[in-house]
Amino acid sequence: MSVTKDPVARGATFGSESRDPDHSRQRWLSLVERYALVGVFILVMVFFTFWSKTSKHFLTTADVQNVLGNQAVIGILALAIIIPLTCGEFDFSVGSVAGLPQVLCAGFMARLGLPLVVAIAAAIGVGALIGLSNGNTVARIGVNSLIVTLGVSTVAVGIVEWYTKGLSIINHISKSLTNLGNGNWLGIPRTIYFLAVVAVLVYYLLEQTPYGRYLHSIGSNRDAARLVGLRVERLILIAFVLSGALAGLAGVLLVARNGGASPQTGTVADTLQALAAAFLGATAIKPGRFNVPGTMIAIFFLAFTVTGLSLAGVANWINDVFNGAALFVAVLISTIVGRKRAGIG
Amino acid sequence: MSGLGGRDSDAEGQATPRPEDPPVLRVAHLSKAFPGTRALDDVSFDVRAGEFHALVGGNGSGKSTLIKILAGVYHGDPGGVITVGGREIPAERTSPDAARAAGLRFVHQNPAVFPAMSVAENLAIGRGFPTTRLHNVDWRAVRRRTAELIERFDIPARPDSLVRDLRPAERAMVAIARALQDQEGERSGVLVLDEPTASLARAEVVRLLGALTRYAASGQTILYVSHRLDEVVDSADRATVLRDGRLAGTLEGGELSEGRLIELIAGRPIEGVFPEMPRVDGEDIALEVRHLVGGPLSEVSFTLRRGEVLGVAGLLGSGRSELLKMIFGAYPKRSGEIVLGGHTVSFRDIGDAMRAGIAYVPEDRGGEAAFMDMSVSENMTAALVGRYWNGMRLNHRRADADAREAIGRFAVTAVSEHEDLATLSGGNQQKVILARWLLRRPTILLLDEPTHGVDVNARSEIYNLVRKVVSEGCSVVVVTSDFEELSHVSDRVIVLNHGRVHAELTGADINPTRLTELAYSTTEVAS
Repeated sequence: MSVTKDPVARGATFGSESRDPDHSRQRWLSLVERYALVGVFILVMVFFTFWSKTSKHFLTTADVQNVLGNQAVIGILALAIIIPLTCGEFDFSVGSVAGLPQVLCAGFMARLGLPLVVAIAAAIGVGALIGLSNGNTVARIGVNSLIVTLGVSTVAVGIVEWYTKGLSIINHISKSLTNLGNGNWLGIPRTIYFLAVVAVLVYYLLEQTPYGRYLHSIGSNRDAARLVGLRVERLILIAFVLSGALAGLAGVLLVARNGGASPQTGTVADTLQALAAAFLGATAIKPGRFNVPGTMIAIFFLAFTVTGLSLAGVANWINDVFNGAALFVAVLISTIVGRKRAGIG
Repeated sequence: MSGLGGRDSDAEGQATPRPEDPPVLRVAHLSKAFPGTRALDDVSFDVRAGEFHALVGGNGSGKSTLIKILAGVYHGDPGGVITVGGREIPAERTSPDAARAAGLRFVHQNPAVFPAMSVAENLAIGRGFPTTRLHNVDWRAVRRRTAELIERFDIPARPDSLVRDLRPAERAMVAIARALQDQEGERSGVLVLDEPTASLARAEVVRLLGALTRYAASGQTILYVSHRLDEVVDSADRATVLRDGRLAGTLEGGELSEGRLIELIAGRPIEGVFPEMPRVDGEDIALEVRHLVGGPLSEVSFTLRRGEVLGVAGLLGSGRSELLKMIFGAYPKRSGEIVLGGHTVSFRDIGDAMRAGIAYVPEDRGGEAAFMDMSVSENMTAALVGRYWNGMRLNHRRADADAREAIGRFAVTAVSEHEDLATLSGGNQQKVILARWLLRRPTILLLDEPTHGVDVNARSEIYNLVRKVVSEGCSVVVVTSDFEELSHVSDRVIVLNHGRVHAELTGADINPTRLTELAYSTTEVAS
């Protein structure tokens, strides 16, 4: 789609013959850039499917269902994290903030005997409240978001430890909740439907609503966003509240999936995985922007690769190295792409 | 001030290099193609020894590409040759090391000095610190060498002065001294300055140009890239003009005038560059500012009629930008009233001002207006996103169609509305920002240096657009430090000086000389 120049505009005007080949080359390069991650994902899948060490179990129904089912929580956390990332703020607390509503949700049922709906609402509410506090400190007071959320994250871990005394809560958990976490619909784990719904909602929010556009603008240039009339502080605050609420929902799904709450789940490690997916996702589909489809591809790319590696009998510590390296490489690529787009590199 | 070397410009007049002197820098048949564009097309010119040579051209004319090839950041296309001091470098094999070895020294816009460090430290960073036998820094040697450089480059500072305490022009001089300090001969090589005055206030420009003219008079060859034509006319021996990547011409001392330069840059005679604004005589008042106080403004009052272009003249720090921001609700006012269409208004925030029909194009495009990594379409519609919300979703197709239409109407050179803003030239970015606000159909348009860092062609296009909205009844307040420009586009001018309206000019009184006089004068003038 080329927009013809008004004859008054006298920029660099050159013969169209010289432009076309360059142009198609550029378009090709941009296609490669957008779908590189998808390509690598397919290569990995093909490799593990046919590699003799893993071909027996990889891509069997049970294995795929297991991987998918386990990724719903990380997926929702990654979606939670890209909302504030879009406006240029880190929410480093999503993992641990999922952990706290998790134990509260289970605890409210087990210890207080509250009905399921109330427990779920309370869990999401607590997540949103933590988000409100994060957002307030970051947006209104102006404290660096990385520091604020890192601190809050540590506090949340501590509260979980206190509340559970280090023990899992597994009794009196609503059966309808645990069924949800473990059954399948049409052969696909039920938690994946939750992830899909949340992904569509976050996609809609970021790409189809004015609010999403405002977040992108704030992330691109905060001062300019303010000067086109955006109430920047309030918009950032809302981003943290949404992120916290989604982390709360992830906490509920943890209970559903694991049949209870454990102080060992919902931790900083989850935040890092979500962060890796978010940054890796920003290198795909819409390179240079945090985007939902890219993030989802990244989630499953990371999960299937790790599964393939463990099926091959690779030691457990490889997983940490792989997730860490993925985050590192993703941030590296995002930065390089970003510099190129900003015209620096 | 102590002179530099033997030739003192005041005593013996400008030592103009003679044509028979061999060129120190020769650029021959230099071309450079980027995907989709030819940035440079067979450009050739000479720079003579000891010459102050200006390189001018609009945005996208290729001058930055040329400088980057000289610096070895880019390679030229095969066929071009760059000769520095007799050493030939094929254009496709330029490199930072080759440029350095040949004696080319670069000082860029916003010179990279370290404000929190001393002059001595800033200079030493360019060549390494001398150390004693114990490998600690030999501060005595550092100070001694700094003192020599300060003397040689005539910098009014002490070795241990902190650079942040220096005036902006002096900071640029420190950067120049750092770039030139390791030359073998005192005045060998070529000093290349890339828009060193772009962010300097007028008084600082005069100071820096004074220093540069002295360096040139003592034999230093200077290649000087600038947007500011008055500087070029005042200081340069010759000027080479690029247009659309080609050589438009080289002007020798005698033919060097602002008019000739604009003709070469624009490729058309000067009369067409500034549209004359139709003078208004309507008495319909669109905006009245009464006793506005806040920030650097001690008390400002003025009226703006419907369909009028009101110019605001003043030096940096006179409060001109703050005045616009206060009207827009983006800067706190201490007291005073803003009357809009007969009603006193008080804006809680910028959104209120926008809804009241006010639009504001800030001075700092990169910092306060541009969303560089977002598309042209997203940039154009940034101030009216809500218009594309149909209750269910954002209508991207309609937004893109509007952007496409605006790209045509505002003569933006862009491949498509999906392109990132960063890929556009400065002038085209500015047109996108202007379009962003004009799409809202404001009744009052506040423009802060709308042509800052914009080439002559884009400048005239921007003012054509302004004239068009004015003819439709919009009122405009324009701030610019280019008094030539201000006198062409304004119906009326108020001069701010020390936070007050110092004078108000109309008709034939609006001319650059009078404006300069009033903006710089410190005594009260009866208006």
